[in-house]
Formats: sequence, C-alpha cells, structure tokens
Amino acid sequence: MSQENQPSRPSGQGRPQGRPADTGSPRISRVDASVASPVKFFFASALLWLLVSSVLAVITAVKLHLPGFLNSCEHLTFGRLDAIQRNVFFYGWASNALIGLNLWLLASLGRFEFRNGWIATLGGLIWNLALTVGIACVLIDSHNAFELLELPRGVALAFFVAFLLAALWPAVAFVRRPTGQVFVSQWYILGASFVLPVVYLLTQLMVLWCPTNGVLQALVHSWFLQNFLLLWLGASALAAVYYFLPKELGTTLTGYYLSTVGFWTLFLFAGWTGPATLLGSPVPLWIQSSGVVAAVMLLIPLTITSINFFGTLSRDSGWTRAWNNTTLRFVAFGLVAYTLAIALQIVFSARSLNAIVRFTSFAAGQQQLLTYAFVSMVIFGAAYYILPRLTGAFWPSAKLVHLHFWSCALAVVVSVAGSLFFGWTQGAALAAAKPFAQTMQPQEALLSSACAVLFLIGHVAFALNAFGMLTTCSSSTEEARQA
Amino acid sequence: MNNLNLILAGVFSTVAASFGGLLLAGHAQLGALGRAPAEEGGPLFPSLEPGLAIQGRQVYLQLGCVACHTQQVRPAGQGSDIAQGWGVRPSVARDYVLQSQVALGNRRIGPDLANYGARAKSDAEIAAHLSAPAAGSAMPAFPTLFNQGKDGSLQPNERGTALIAYLKSLRQDYSSPEAKLKQ
Repeated sequence: MSQENQPSRPSGQGRPQGRPADTGSPRISRVDASVASPVKFFFASALLWLLVSSVLAVITAVKLHLPGFLNSCEHLTFGRLDAIQRNVFFYGWASNALIGLNLWLLASLGRFEFRNGWIATLGGLIWNLALTVGIACVLIDSHNAFELLELPRGVALAFFVAFLLAALWPAVAFVRRPTGQVFVSQWYILGASFVLPVVYLLTQLMVLWCPTNGVLQALVHSWFLQNFLLLWLGASALAAVYYFLPKELGTTLTGYYLSTVGFWTLFLFAGWTGPATLLGSPVPLWIQSSGVVAAVMLLIPLTITSINFFGTLSRDSGWTRAWNNTTLRFVAFGLVAYTLAIALQIVFSARSLNAIVRFTSFAAGQQQLLTYAFVSMVIFGAAYYILPRLTGAFWPSAKLVHLHFWSCALAVVVSVAGSLFFGWTQGAALAAAKPFAQTMQPQEALLSSACAVLFLIGHVAFALNAFGMLTTCSSSTEEARQA
Repeated sequence: MNNLNLILAGVFSTVAASFGGLLLAGHAQLGALGRAPAEEGGPLFPSLEPGLAIQGRQVYLQLGCVACHTQQVRPAGQGSDIAQGWGVRPSVARDYVLQSQVALGNRRIGPDLANYGARAKSDAEIAAHLSAPAAGSAMPAFPTLFNQGKDGSLQPNERGTALIAYLKSLRQDYSSPEAKLKQ
C-alpha cells in the first residue's frame, strides 16, 4: 500500500470509516461495484452543489446586515439569491445525496446487484442539468412565490423524469428481486421514493400549471413542503439511521417490532401537517385544525423512533461507541436533532405558541434543525461509511474529518439556537405591541453570517477530503466489476 | 411486512388520504369562491386590479420581495398583526381570488404588505422608500427601478412605476361577507 493510501487515525475518534477491522486494502464487493458509478456520481454532484449553496448562504447572510452588498445588479437581490440557495441546497445537495444513498442502501441490504446502473446515472445527469438550467432561469429572470417551487415549470418535468430513472426505477427493480427479507430501511426508502414524485407532480399541476383558486395554492404548497421535508428528506435519512445504527454498533434495535407502527404513523400523519404551518392564514379553520391534530399525532412515530434509536444507544456503552465512530458520531448528532425538530413542531403547532413565533426566524431555525442538523449530518455520516467502500480508498485526512464535524456541528448548534432565540424574542416583543422596526435585532444577522462562514469551512474540509478520495481512487472499482 | 407491493399500496393510500382530505376537500369549499358584495346589491370585492398593478406584481415577484414580506393579516387572537397597524380586519380567502399567483409569504424581515396601499401616503413616499430605505432597515435600495432626472433626482422608470402601482393596489380595507369592517 502506498503512503498516500495509509489510513489516517484521528485521535480519540476510532478508525476512519471504510477501513476493514484489520490492516489491508479496502475491498469492493460485487454489490457495491454494481452501484459504484451512479452512487459516486450522485455524491460528487451533491458535494459540488453543497459548496455552491454554502457560498450563496454566506452572501445572503451578509446581505441581511449589509443591504447594499452586491446590490448594483438586480439579478443578485436577496430574494433571488435566497431562493437559489434554498433550491441548490434541497435539490442539489440533499436530494442528490439521498438518491445516491438510497440506491446504495437498497443494493446493500438486498444483496442485490443492479444491472443497467447507467440508467440511474442518466437520471442523475438529467436531474443536475435541469437544476442548473432552472437556477440560471431564476438568476436571469423571475421566480414564483412558493418556497421550493421557484424553478420554471419545464424543469419540474425534467426532475420528474430524472427521479423516475434514478430513484423509482431502482426501487421497482428491487421490488421485483427474487426473494429475501425486507428491512425497515427498505420500507422508508420505498415510501420516500414513491412520495416525492407523486407529491411533486401534483403540486406542480395545482400551483403552476393549472393554478387553483387563491389561497388554495398556499394550502397545496404547505402540503407539498411537509411531504418533501418529512417524507422525502426525513424518511430517507431515517432509512439510513435504521441501517447504520445497528450495523455499526453490532447489535439489534431496541423495540424493532415497533418500527412498523412508527413507519405507518409517520407516513399517515406527516402529509396532513401542512396546514399546521398556516395557522392564522386565510384558509378554513377546520383545515388548520386538521394540521394541528396531525402534528400532535407525530408524537407516535417520534416516540417509536426514540425507543428504537435512543434505547439502542443507551445499551452497552452505545453513546460512547457512537462518539468514537465517525459515521455514528454524525448519525447520533442527527438523531438528537430529529427528536428536537419533531418535538418543536408538535409543541409549536399549538395556536397560542404559533401566534408568537410565526413569520419570525423561529420557523427557519426549526427547518434548519430538521434539514441540516438531522438530514445533512446523517448524509455526512453515511458518506464516511460508503465512499471508501465504493472507491477502494481511504479518507485522505483525519484532520479534515475533525474539522468538518466540529465546524458544522458548532455552526448548526449556534445557528439554530440563535434563530430560535431571536425568533422567540422578536415574537414576544411583537405580541407586546412593540413597533415592528424596534423588534429587529441586528445581532441575529451578524450571528447568521458568522455561522455561514463556519458552515463553508466545514463543507470545504469535507469536499477536499471527499474529492481527494474520489480522484485518487484506484481502478479497483473496475477490477471488482470485471471480477 | 415482507410484501413490498403491499407497502407501496399502503404508502399510496396515505398520500391519497391527505391529498383527498385536505386538498380536494379544500377545493370543494374554496375552488369556486369569487368576488362578492359585502351587502346584497353592493359593489363586488375584491376590486379588479389595474393593468399597471398586474405588471407591478411581476416586478414584485422578480425582485423576490416575497422572501421578506408577507401579505396576510392574522385575526386579532392569532398574532398582533392588527395591533401593528398592518390591517383593519383579518385577511380572508376571498381577498385573494383574483390573484393568479398568491404571494402570502412565510417570513417577515419587513412588515406585512396585505394592506400597504391603504397606509401608504403617496407615490412619492413609496418611491423614496424604494430608492433610499430608512437607515437601519434590512431592505436594500432598488436603483434599477429608477432613472436619474435632469435635476439629478431619481424618477421611477417603467418597472418602478408598475411596482408602485402594485403596492398601492394592495388593500384589504373593505368589508367582505366573511370579514366586516367594524363600525
């Protein structure tokens, strides 16, 4: 083994993921080799988009306390850049990475060798090309008013086709495999892969192609957003947790038999929680109340996942072992964030509390807790496990792994805590009838900027490490495929 | 639970349940909502938007104003929107029936604009705010909406004029069957 491929060993962090227990070069299994190309493509694309998103996040954060920054050009207004950053993060980073992760999990869990992996890669190409065109369109001209529906309508069609090729086709192919046991991760992946295209297509039809009447558009959008956040991003990330936690701890899940109930109740209630984000809006009260009831019912899947995950981590020094394992450190961090995010969603669907925090940065903090502190951290943890198995190489630098974890963890904790705190204090001041202009807190924008820079540092560290690995990976993938 | 077709069928049912229960039922209730008089025989509200305001709405969306401004006034028991002076009554679904694309918004970095037209004093005041927002405001100036006049002053160009017309058209200060103005 050459010096460059010597595994790095972060102090106090156990061995880097992907390295076999004993010395020796990492080997690529036939199953991994069958999905290596598309999965590496999706992760590499996701990484590039993550870097773009991080730079845009710094610019938008600075714009909030220096409104004149990059203000001479209309293409760079806060509203446009904010929309672009959001779309790049959700469709470019999170969705690319989750499609790749789901593909690998399906293959790995089912010991299922995908044939025609190029179809998934083709789907990935279409997805990323469509996103690039969509971002350019938003930058050049206009966008519409709904979060995550800002891209032009034509792009949505390309997304739909791409997702069918990249995610739904593998899921269907998996269903048609001969026999075998089905794990809870597979339920979540199949559910998530089915929900996203259906919900996305229906929403596009009802909001952009044949707009429904007035505020019904906002109702459809809230339904889409909650499905996207909880049943695409959330369910896909939960699938990864259900895989990595018992696998890396070498144990069984506590209360595994409950996970069926957790799965069905999440899918049953999450889709109804959209109107809980519209409390006080001009939509019928019974619809708002349905959303509140559904949000409270999320207590059932939350309790079950807590029993499954925290019960498992509480056994046999699970927390300590998770802390000493790169993948599980990220995953456990994400699990705590998931629990907090859903708990906050339940508590703040109460009308009296929602009235205080709605429209403030509190909601942004809640969303970041779910989408970054949970979903993104789980993706990072999974990448540390998967990429060495697909490339046949080790992570080049343990220091960069440390830098990545600590900068991202610190940034997201400070950012979320700041958003929740400043959102609450602003809401309380408004409730006390203080004039709006006096409730704005410039410290919040400064804190956001500092956190955005910290995120960027962490993401650059991760990208350097990952691209270092992807570019130096030997031809072992090809060799394994030929073998 | 090894039957994957059953899983897909179940997931389909859950999506169909929320789609039918929320969206189709909501459509049944609000899908045909239109303009209506506050009192029988009275004028229909909301009023039709002037053409310039419709063009201004496009400018509003192009600039991404919806990232910082909402257009919805919550009832008195649900937030302090009315106490803040952003509206004289809560917004109702009928207020939005003429809008091809509703811009309710979900974050307030700036104040709510649902009833901005009723509290803006003049075109000049709106133009001044767009060209040079008050110190300390998080809102940037929008120089591309203005041309420099012969005397050096900034005059709204075509798009600026349209945006001002749109902002002036944002009014929810009329009675509707669902929300009467207090006498």
